[in-house]
Amino acid sequence: MTGDHVIDVQGMGKRFRLHRSGTRTFKSAALDLLKARGSGKRDFWALQDLSFTVGRGETLGIIGSNGAGKSTLLSLLAKTKVPTTGSIQTHGTVSSLLELGAGFHPDLTGRENVFLAGAIMGLSRAQMRDRFDAIVAFAELDEFIDQPVKHYSSGMYVRLGFAVAVEVDPDILLIDEVLAVGDVNFQRKCIEKMEAFRREGKTMLIISHDLPTIQSISDRILLLDQGRIVGLGEPDAVVGSYRSLARKQSVSGLEREWGTGEIVIEGVDFMNASGKESDCFACGDSLTARIHYRADQRIENPVFGFSLSDPQGRLIFGSNTQIGGAKVPVVEGKGSLTLDLENLPMATGTYLFSFSVHSADHRTNYHRLDHYFAISMENERSFEGVCFMPSSWRMGEASE
Amino acid sequence: MPNIFHDVMARRELFLILVGRNMKIRYKNSTLGFFWSLLSPIFLIVIYSVFFGILKIQMPLPVLVSGIIVWQFLAMCLGDSLYAVMGNANLVTKASFPRLILPLSMVGANFINFLLSFVVLVAYLLIAKVSFGALYLLPIAVLTQFVLCLGLASILSAANVFFRDTEHILSVVLLAWFFLSPVIYDLTFISDKFVEGHWVHTVLFLNPMAGILTLYRVALLSSECPEVKSLCLSIGIAWAIGVLGVAIFQKAQPRFGDEL
Repeated sequence: MTGDHVIDVQGMGKRFRLHRSGTRTFKSAALDLLKARGSGKRDFWALQDLSFTVGRGETLGIIGSNGAGKSTLLSLLAKTKVPTTGSIQTHGTVSSLLELGAGFHPDLTGRENVFLAGAIMGLSRAQMRDRFDAIVAFAELDEFIDQPVKHYSSGMYVRLGFAVAVEVDPDILLIDEVLAVGDVNFQRKCIEKMEAFRREGKTMLIISHDLPTIQSISDRILLLDQGRIVGLGEPDAVVGSYRSLARKQSVSGLEREWGTGEIVIEGVDFMNASGKESDCFACGDSLTARIHYRADQRIENPVFGFSLSDPQGRLIFGSNTQIGGAKVPVVEGKGSLTLDLENLPMATGTYLFSFSVHSADHRTNYHRLDHYFAISMENERSFEGVCFMPSSWRMGEASE
Repeated sequence: MPNIFHDVMARRELFLILVGRNMKIRYKNSTLGFFWSLLSPIFLIVIYSVFFGILKIQMPLPVLVSGIIVWQFLAMCLGDSLYAVMGNANLVTKASFPRLILPLSMVGANFINFLLSFVVLVAYLLIAKVSFGALYLLPIAVLTQFVLCLGLASILSAANVFFRDTEHILSVVLLAWFFLSPVIYDLTFISDKFVEGHWVHTVLFLNPMAGILTLYRVALLSSECPEVKSLCLSIGIAWAIGVLGVAIFQKAQPRFGDEL
């Protein structure tokens, strides 16, 4: 695939200027010019330092949480926005499904809008006439095609938009969250169409929050977080790192760090039964946490503790070295400590670990990391309630 | 600059479809539709004739009617231009095409409208038995006005994306410009008052619409031409505004996607 790139993005960044006063008027423009010119405070980098290439015939999925810059990236590729730094090169015609039926005018009929949309994407009237029947058929609109689109249902509108964009037959198709609209039937048709596209060797870039679908349709996935690429590669791996990123973001806000600092917990590694680092477990698994600490001075009899909470901060279980009967006589310099949890019982969801180290008399908290580390439970078989209890049934003897 | 014309030419299908769309939208839901393009100037002529008759204004009606119809083209273009880009935000943010097509197709739609009014005007002039003048000047007048309209429409459509004051400024400026231009009067009187080469000629003809209106009347009504040099200045300014307007638009258009 190398040497045959249809999209080449190098060191690309996009900055937005945020206006203090919402809508701009001459007055506000003049005021902005006087105040804080070049202070940079109103700048917002939607994308920063992006470099990647997409090969011909490749399907690249783009994932990331809301506001990560996914849609901005597609509009830059569609050339409706201009990058602030770096460069973007595309080879071939680009058709964007940035918003289905976005270019439609409500007062024009479906037919007129189809020709308008075709012209916007650079097709001649004759070329559009050849494709017209296929578009109407795909959109299932035959008797409504000469009605103004303002009378269309939202489903009809979206179907027509999708039909136009795919029948235009571009070299590169940009799709933004198409799978979120339309009924199940239509979604299936869209996915079939995308797979047909893929077989024809067309290049596609797809944004979606529907992870299983994007995972199955993409050759590679690009993960964006706060305008930067944090993952690019094999779908399963990138979707996995997105899930753990999303977990961290979903629980952010609860975490708290405090303490006097004589001993510092520098980090915690979580491992599964086979000793591989992981933050995703299933019911019945065992978990090993290795706690790395640093003590700048010699401390005797410190107590290390942990607790596990749900995302609302409710305590599920907690213990420490004192209760667990593991004496830590003295710490000095760097070291580590291992915690083993067996047979995790929790239901599917996200859970938060807290770790602490304090003096034996509980008077001094050296360091506490509350709700700091997120893990997730993904159970194949779900059960009622918050945790699994091994249970079995027996029939009683017939009493009569 | 030559690039943009090449780009626009390459997308002329889009231009034509947008011109058609702009015209359709103007007459959407109206029973008479396109006939309004003919009916409005007819009503205009009738109303002015009646009131000028009643008020006994000493002014030849053909001068006035030609002035009003020519002015209408400019005024409509400028009014519509405010939303040439803004009103198509969904196209600008979702697809890539030469943005200049937006003001251009809007001027184009108004131009077709103007041509229909012009047919009415010519019919009226024939009925009023006006002796036509140097008709070969007519294409120059029409083309110059088109270029002026495109230049101003480009500036206004871009300005309104960034500054929402544009609309209010336009209505004030347009009113002043209407009275400063020889729309409801003509400039033949100045040759009586000021000798050729007097600075008053130059000042009056700094207004591009002064030259354009004079040119139309020289062609259609065989009005006398006040001063060729001043007329050329006026026409030159109109073309300069046209070129400058397109250049400003091109400079501003990469930022449309961010602002809309």
